[in-house]
Amino acid sequence: MPDRPRSVDHLLPLKPKVLHVLLALADGPRHGYSIMQEVAARTDGQVRVWPAALYGTLRELEDMDWIVESDTRPSDDDERRRYFALTPLGKRVLGAEVRRLEAIVAHARTSRALRGEGRA
Amino acid sequence: MKTPGARPYDRLLRLLPGRDPRERQAIGDDAARLLDGARARGRGALVSTWLSLLWDLAIAGAGRDLARAIRSMVRAPGFTLTVSLLLGLGVAATTTLFALVNAALLAPLPYEAPERLVMVWESNVPRNRLREGPSPGNLNDWVASSDAFEALTGWWTAQATLRGLDGSTPVTGVQVTKGFFEVFRRAPLLGRTFADDEYAGRPSIPSGRVGAEPILVLSHRLWQSLGADPALVGGTVRVEGRDWRVLGVMPADFAVPDAQAAFWTPWDMRESYSGPRFPEGPPREARFLRVAGRVKPGLSREAATERMEVLAARVAADHPRTNAEWSVELVPLREELVRSSRTGLLLVFGAVSCLLLLVCANVASLSIVRGTARAREMAIRLALGAGRPRVVRERLAEAAVCAALTAIVAIVFTAWSLGAAVAFAPADIPRLDEVHMNARVVAFAAALALLATVMGVLLPGLRGSAPAIAPALKDGAPAYGQHASRMRRGLVIAEIAVTVVLLVGAGLLARSFASLQRVDPGFDARNLLVMRIAPDVTRYRGAQVTDYYQRVLDSIRELPGVASSAAVTVLPMSTIGSDFYRPYWLQGARPAGNTLPQANVRMATPGYFETLGLPLVSGREFSAGDTVEAPRVVIVNESLARSAWNGEDPVGRTLVLDYQGGPTERLVVGVVRDARYDGPRSAPSPEIFIPHAQNPYLVMNVVVRTTMDPDALARPARAQALKVDPDQPVHSVTTMERLLDETMQQDRFAMLFVALFAVAGLVTAATGVYALLAFTVAQRRREIAVRMAIGASSRSVARLIVGESLVLAIAGCAVGALGVAAVSGLARSVLFGVAPQDPFTLGATAAVLVATVLVASWLPARRAARVNPVSALRV
Repeated sequence: MPDRPRSVDHLLPLKPKVLHVLLALADGPRHGYSIMQEVAARTDGQVRVWPAALYGTLRELEDMDWIVESDTRPSDDDERRRYFALTPLGKRVLGAEVRRLEAIVAHARTSRALRGEGRA
Repeated sequence: MKTPGARPYDRLLRLLPGRDPRERQAIGDDAARLLDGARARGRGALVSTWLSLLWDLAIAGAGRDLARAIRSMVRAPGFTLTVSLLLGLGVAATTTLFALVNAALLAPLPYEAPERLVMVWESNVPRNRLREGPSPGNLNDWVASSDAFEALTGWWTAQATLRGLDGSTPVTGVQVTKGFFEVFRRAPLLGRTFADDEYAGRPSIPSGRVGAEPILVLSHRLWQSLGADPALVGGTVRVEGRDWRVLGVMPADFAVPDAQAAFWTPWDMRESYSGPRFPEGPPREARFLRVAGRVKPGLSREAATERMEVLAARVAADHPRTNAEWSVELVPLREELVRSSRTGLLLVFGAVSCLLLLVCANVASLSIVRGTARAREMAIRLALGAGRPRVVRERLAEAAVCAALTAIVAIVFTAWSLGAAVAFAPADIPRLDEVHMNARVVAFAAALALLATVMGVLLPGLRGSAPAIAPALKDGAPAYGQHASRMRRGLVIAEIAVTVVLLVGAGLLARSFASLQRVDPGFDARNLLVMRIAPDVTRYRGAQVTDYYQRVLDSIRELPGVASSAAVTVLPMSTIGSDFYRPYWLQGARPAGNTLPQANVRMATPGYFETLGLPLVSGREFSAGDTVEAPRVVIVNESLARSAWNGEDPVGRTLVLDYQGGPTERLVVGVVRDARYDGPRSAPSPEIFIPHAQNPYLVMNVVVRTTMDPDALARPARAQALKVDPDQPVHSVTTMERLLDETMQQDRFAMLFVALFAVAGLVTAATGVYALLAFTVAQRRREIAVRMAIGASSRSVARLIVGESLVLAIAGCAVGALGVAAVSGLARSVLFGVAPQDPFTLGATAAVLVATVLVASWLPARRAARVNPVSALRV
């Protein structure tokens, strides 16, 4: 049977930390340290991930086949560094989560209370 | 590229479970990079990065082990619960004391620049009269000419009656001289304090003189009890039968001189001490004020003292009759507040800390015993390839669970014991009302719980986590050396010794308390009801007062169950009422010089001594005939008769009393037995009683002798008094037995406190003995088996173990006896009617201790007796 993309909705919502890691990988493969830097930069330092937790998360994501260790690496890099990239499944999960969040945000915008707050 | 800072991290990283070497490598590398980056940003960033990395490791690594530790604790809770309970109690005791010490000694005083505040006292070293309250005359001179202070103030407290919404209550008013709120600089919560020109012309609180409108500033507590209405400021309250305008309300922690102060009112001493009775103005020889000053900025206390001494010398030269040899002393306010309790509190704090150390030592013993029991299991696991990191991690998780439980136990018990301590503590520990659970106390408890767990559980546990595999697997081999064993023996002996001291202390205090209760106060305290009446000064004057009390006492006598009733200015054991300490001499024999004998002067109605059950030694009671018109008479007590007439019967003689309007001659008509006025510890002092009708004092204590339970008569008696005049406040209705009991409050507190410690020490010593013996039995299993194999009976083996416990007990008692001898001097000052070497107490202590040790050794001895030689010797 040909693979029809199965719905990934049952995997949502994502834990905040997972979402941030996936987002950091959205632009291309990164190594662990770079993921930490990226998450901190994107959130203005509001969210930090630390190595022991990060590598635990990365392993879980690998086990679920959302990310994969990538072979593409800059030629001048330390060879011990491990690069990670999103898999197609990982991209779909991330996309689904972003759409879910968008729906929530859109719903919030139509809510009267928040509109009032926006004006004030 | 590894930086040195990362190495400790790598070591911790090894404890992280379930990661392959590559992942571990990556984590280590990234952590090193983070640390490098942080180091470049400075020390603060480095520290916070370190903390974050450690937290990250703990969260990532400990989850499973914590879960396992909690599971294993739930399955076999005995050890962890016991340990947490023991440690928690120790920590709670220490934290309670910390909270007390913190509130009383460490918390800053709530005034601006409190380090510049001093109390000023007058001292006369040659006559050994030290630290007496300055006299009004001298204070006036100092205020006028001292350049050492920014402000200098004196005050005096007076009991006053406040008419509230629901009847009247006794309150403590503080009359303060100009500068009070400049010395104790503090902004009022509401309204304002007194302006400088508002002091002039205002008399003392009890004075009936009507001058300017009386004004006052309320304490926070009184304001609360009056309904906490901000509109009260500007309104009036009724005190001592007059309306006082409320200028302001002070904050809750403004307590000068203490938390009893209900209001402050301006006082002009010149107004109080004027007129024909004080031709020279405020007196210099009456030393009773409390004086505090704010030292000028930049002036040291020594320099201020020097200036004041010069001034005092000048005043003494001007007024040699009253001031010769008198000088001044400046004491920092903080020192003053804690002087009486500092040593005590710190001593108790030290004792509690020792107790905590003992508990830790004990728990450590238990942990080592447990470690021995698990040494084989550990060795097997290690031999089967369990990594040491894993074992260490398990210990850490176990200790964390233990620390959390300990902290919970400690905080719960601290909250409970703080309430109890405040309720039981004698009232003279300063600022006790400020003691409560706060963030500081909770943090102290948590930190101490952690420390105690590390010392008691983690360190001994880690020691046992890595036995050398081969010897541990060999049957019966001792896991620890002789050295550790000897140290633990020493610890147990120390525990027993401390317990001996505590037990002896508790026993002595209990015996002392019992003998206090047996002391004859001089009168019959049973079936006495007492109450205080403070009539309006504006309503009753002179003979009207006599008449009022006559009617009140008559109406109370109408009640069934009342045998007699009378009134007096100051009752024995009661803290309310004004006593007058006045000079007297024998007719025609005024001693030369300034040293006149003095006596307490009290006014009493007819029938007072009979009602109190205080027998007359000779002469007669006051009668209805001792009126204003009749000759002036007095009754003296035995002490006065002894010292003034060398024991001859003074009835019919005349003495001169310098009281109210100058020296007057008075005929002695009776001698009454001595009573211990201030409780069983107090010695009787000279007393002179004047018939109330001849000096109709307004505020009196009424005492009623009942033929039934006095409490049952409290309401009816009060109602009878109010029937005479419903507007006159009748309050503080209680029984004499209760008053007598209150004088022993401090002794009761000390006794309960030390007893609590003794019990805690006993438990500690018992566990210590138990742990040591259990350990010994485990270690000597093979030896015991050999003895049994060659014919020793179970009984003799058990005897061997019990004998060891007795050796410990005797050694501990011997060391403890030395301790008892060392502190017996200290104990003597506290004890009443029992010597520190009381043989009964010492014997009972030894008996209790030996019995406890025997009980503690029972289980290990039984275990030793049940050693099966066959299985123990099988290799």
